[in-house]
Amino acid sequence: MSEYRLWFGIVKNGKITPSDDFKKSFQNCENAEPLPFSPSEVGIKHFGSLDAYFSALRKVAIDVVKKIIEHELKREDRYAVLLLKSLDELNETINLLEEKLRDLEEVKVSEVTESFRDRIAELKRLRRDVEKEIEAIVSKIAPNLTEIVGAVIAARLLEKAGSLKRLAEMPASAIQLLGAEKSLYKALSRMKKGKPAKFPKHGVIFQHPFVRTLPKAKRGKMARFMAAKLAIAARLDYFSGELNEELAEAVRKRYEQLRR
Amino acid sequence: MKVKEVLHNVVLLDRNGRKILATKSRYAPHYGEKKYGEFREWMASRSKLAALILKEYVPEIKEDWKILYLGAASGTTVSHFADIVEKGVIFAVEYSAKPFSKFLELAMERKNIIPILANALQPWKYSGIVDKVDMIYQDVAHPEQVEIFERNADFFLKKRGEGLIMVKARSIDSTAEPKEVFTRVKQRLKSKFRVLAVIDLEPYHKDHVAIHIQR
Repeated sequence: MSEYRLWFGIVKNGKITPSDDFKKSFQNCENAEPLPFSPSEVGIKHFGSLDAYFSALRKVAIDVVKKIIEHELKREDRYAVLLLKSLDELNETINLLEEKLRDLEEVKVSEVTESFRDRIAELKRLRRDVEKEIEAIVSKIAPNLTEIVGAVIAARLLEKAGSLKRLAEMPASAIQLLGAEKSLYKALSRMKKGKPAKFPKHGVIFQHPFVRTLPKAKRGKMARFMAAKLAIAARLDYFSGELNEELAEAVRKRYEQLRR
Repeated sequence: MKVKEVLHNVVLLDRNGRKILATKSRYAPHYGEKKYGEFREWMASRSKLAALILKEYVPEIKEDWKILYLGAASGTTVSHFADIVEKGVIFAVEYSAKPFSKFLELAMERKNIIPILANALQPWKYSGIVDKVDMIYQDVAHPEQVEIFERNADFFLKKRGEGLIMVKARSIDSTAEPKEVFTRVKQRLKSKFRVLAVIDLEPYHKDHVAIHIQR
């Protein structure tokens, strides 16, 4: 009856059974109800003194946090998403600079203008490198998503979802509208007010030629189907990581069907 | 330089007429704050507790208190808290891993901080770690922040233990008037606790109040 899970073991009827792995028990010390005592009151018996208790607890806590942070922050999907964000910035910068360069060249071609042009070319090389890196990472961590929509759109989906885990937990209907949040909420608020509303059919996945090249009336069907397969793909990528070629094949077939 | 102690290890420095809040600390700066001799400047714009003290409301935090700190983030305020409760313990809870990596540096430096990476909405998950505490300090900018506070108080706050709740109106309800939000929060807290004070944190933090309660 009176059994309590503490970070260093289990207390039952006042008796301590210490855990053999503190890091594990630290992360698994859930109690449905508040404890009628403080963990340190029991811990002092086991560790000898309050100082020894807190220094042991502190050490375990720090080790656990370190491990979790490492796991959370050093993930490759984060790397890919951050790269993609930098790529967007690069694109914008290159476009802006090129525009200014053209203006400059019309007025005067000077040494500065030349070096301006060189720098932009350098940025473009950097852009290619970043793109290549994104492709390499995404096709490694999300082979199924990449097979269906290509690395860039797959990375974009990861960015919108936040992580591969989050994407894997999403229903297909949400994946279908990733990146179309603005128009979705606009439609929802119009509907609430009783006005006629147009719901979006696709977000990021519109960029894929299979959706984009179809006539308007068929895009929704294609987007829905593609999103359904992407949902399965994301789960495969997150949980197993093995490539299942049937998914991409099914999407292609559906496209052929709709194109006719 | 004139030094006036307002709380254990917390001082008001007077440097040629400029008032500076600081804590006595033998540690190096944590977030780029200035050091004046043995004192670390405590910037009101970075920490709501500093703002509260500069508004001349000084909660009597004892040097041996156990504190449960919800929303530790990168540890700006916690670093000063750790100077105050130098003989106590701070259980610092934070949900997001990213700022916590900065926090980890602090936890490794100080002996009186127990870092916990968990969702403060689920206190039962860390119920086997945290002691009964003398104070719960909360700064979480979450729409459910009052609920979070109550749940944690149920689990960990001693009888007659105190709470400091930094309420951000904009994150509870961005459409309502801040005043209305504060009244609502105060009413809700009143049903369970004794509300000792409600202090507006203007001009240091806009649309924020600090609520001091006792169980």
